[in-house]
Amino acid sequence: MPPSIEFYCPCLASTPHPPPPHLASSSYSFHPLHNLFFCEECDAIRCNRCVMVEVSGYYCPNCLFEVPSASVRAEKNRCARNCFMCPNCRNTLTVVPSDPPDTGAAIVNTVGEPPFFLYCNHCRWDSAEVGITFEKPTGLAAQLQKYEDSAPESLEFERLKEHYEPHLRASPSTGPAAPHSHHTHTNPITAAASSALARDIPGVGKYTPHSSSVGRNRSSRNKGNYNEVPDYRARVEIGSSNFTMGGGGETDVDLMKHLEDMSEIATLEQRWENSWMTSLQTGDLKPLRIPLHSKKSKRCPSCRHILIKPEQKAQSVRYKIKLVAANYLPAITVSLPHLYAVLAAMRKPGKTPQLSDIESTMHAGKTYSFQLSFTNPLYDPIQVRLHVQRSLPSSSMAEDGGGPSEKRRPPFSVTLPSSAFPIAAYAEAWEYEDDEEMFGVEEDDFDGGGGGRGGGREQGRGRTKTIGILERRANVTVIGGEVAISKEARGNIKFNMLVSYTYRSDDSEPSEEQSTPSRAQVQNREPEMKTFSFYTAIDLGTIIPREEHKSDAMEY
Amino acid sequence: MSKGRDKFNIHSKAVVCQDVDLKGDITIGAGTIVHPKATIFAAGGPIVIGQGCIIEEGAIILNRHREVMRIGDDNLFEIGCRVECPSIGDFNTFCTRSRVHNTVRIPSYCVIGAGCLVVPLEDEILDEYTVIYGPAAEKRVWSGRGRVQEADLRRKHADYLKEMLPKFNRLRRGDGA
Repeated sequence: MPPSIEFYCPCLASTPHPPPPHLASSSYSFHPLHNLFFCEECDAIRCNRCVMVEVSGYYCPNCLFEVPSASVRAEKNRCARNCFMCPNCRNTLTVVPSDPPDTGAAIVNTVGEPPFFLYCNHCRWDSAEVGITFEKPTGLAAQLQKYEDSAPESLEFERLKEHYEPHLRASPSTGPAAPHSHHTHTNPITAAASSALARDIPGVGKYTPHSSSVGRNRSSRNKGNYNEVPDYRARVEIGSSNFTMGGGGETDVDLMKHLEDMSEIATLEQRWENSWMTSLQTGDLKPLRIPLHSKKSKRCPSCRHILIKPEQKAQSVRYKIKLVAANYLPAITVSLPHLYAVLAAMRKPGKTPQLSDIESTMHAGKTYSFQLSFTNPLYDPIQVRLHVQRSLPSSSMAEDGGGPSEKRRPPFSVTLPSSAFPIAAYAEAWEYEDDEEMFGVEEDDFDGGGGGRGGGREQGRGRTKTIGILERRANVTVIGGEVAISKEARGNIKFNMLVSYTYRSDDSEPSEEQSTPSRAQVQNREPEMKTFSFYTAIDLGTIIPREEHKSDAMEY
Repeated sequence: MSKGRDKFNIHSKAVVCQDVDLKGDITIGAGTIVHPKATIFAAGGPIVIGQGCIIEEGAIILNRHREVMRIGDDNLFEIGCRVECPSIGDFNTFCTRSRVHNTVRIPSYCVIGAGCLVVPLEDEILDEYTVIYGPAAEKRVWSGRGRVQEADLRRKHADYLKEMLPKFNRLRRGDGA
């Protein structure tokens, strides 16, 4: 696995410290940068888990028609126009004319001849297999409407609605003349939902918004609807043998007993697109209307500022408001330079190996250098400081050590420059100078793994620079670090790293533009430096344990 | 790989571009169109291609066995496909990047979908009108509806190519061994 880095989103947690990255459960808090948003008001990272999502519009993925929210419920969340889905492979169906009669002339009419039917280009299923054909190629929705309305499930559903509707309409009127506007629902379904909320629950005190008319409410509501509703009798008895519809009744058992070929039974992916259970046979699968997709807009959970707002048109993929973390946080990539040497050695003629082919190259007991490259997205230069958190060994390490408290040495220690390093501002490509600047190592500070040797130490020029700023190019800075792996280490090298960067805040303005700069105003206009910090989890890969080497050595 | 002599029997009405990689004993029928950068290797035994076939760029037709590989009429070999079947019927379609192994014999009117791998372990003869589709190479049988329109489309495709390809590509003039 190539080395990777992920960013931590605290998700409104009370402590800002991230969980240790080697635990499997902490992987849900770490995200790649392209999944994260950034709220400017709260100055915080937001992720998909903590963000508030609301629907901003519905559209059909096939015809890209925007469906107004009112008709979404009426059409049962499906496209009302001529968009159908193949029940076999779930691709879109096209309307196709039948073959011309075999006159031997081999001339095909371009318009096509009736009867027309639906045809899937991918699996070559057509609706004539289930007996659905049309006389005209247009207006399919209307032609299929009568098929759908006569299906037993929709008849049942209509009957249920008719049965309960008069009682739901009557329920607000039996109560006192309450000025609750939310009771007068025009839609019987939402009226049913709200009266279900107000239902009498034994043991719990009844909630009435108006305390003055408590007595009257209680008595009238108890007597009200729920005693008067007659029992609903279904159109067809559920338990009867000819109405099982995949529910596991007698018909299904007979079907299974006489099954000859597995392909006669529809698979789960083919059946669960429907809103209710359908029959099990493949031959009964009908073309389905395409379900609608929704465009969502996302808000910050604490300040309710909109983070993502897509454009209204269904076919445009752009956004009106797009506050993504990549525009505020520096993008970080991790690489191991010694992997490229391994890749070159692995190269065979005609086959280029990829980074993902290398399982792991890091042996226990050795020291490897790695590189982090930071890309600055802001229009101002920033100063970045890094700080590595100490990682405790995992529980599997303790088992190897023989005693839980015996070998608590961390399995690896990471060395990174601890001084602040600058990254240039983002600018257009032509504004950058041609010559690249190579900065030497300015300061070195060892972190972790036995004793702090603090303070700066100038590195000799003759030594190859592996720790510190390696390269500065445009708005990218490459930092080198080292990881020393102890002999008994095993598992993945994962550690948390705190990245804090300082930037000039946007409120500042240069004081030269002021017409009458007073001293106080100049003071206020001085650019204030703001600092933002976030945690990341870096995964450098798996360690090849030393056991194999030891057993080899013992053979001699 | 036996070093056979190259012997190309290309019909005068076939359109074979110059950039095609031909090797071995190959017979190409009338009206067949071979796009540039196609590869036809009759490495083990001869290959006989029927009339009206369309072999697109990057297609590889390979015969590693001694027996004759017979390809019927009006087949379409799309870009990047790799075909090694010993016998192919008429009006088949091998979609983009499909791979068909040597153990399969294909009759007429079959469709091997894009990216599908057809590599059964034992010798197999597909049914007519078989459609193989999806990443898992599922099989089903087509009802055959619409085959007249598809045949007509195939012919129009071939006619168009016969007219257009020579305008933009150099043609290989039929040459003997």
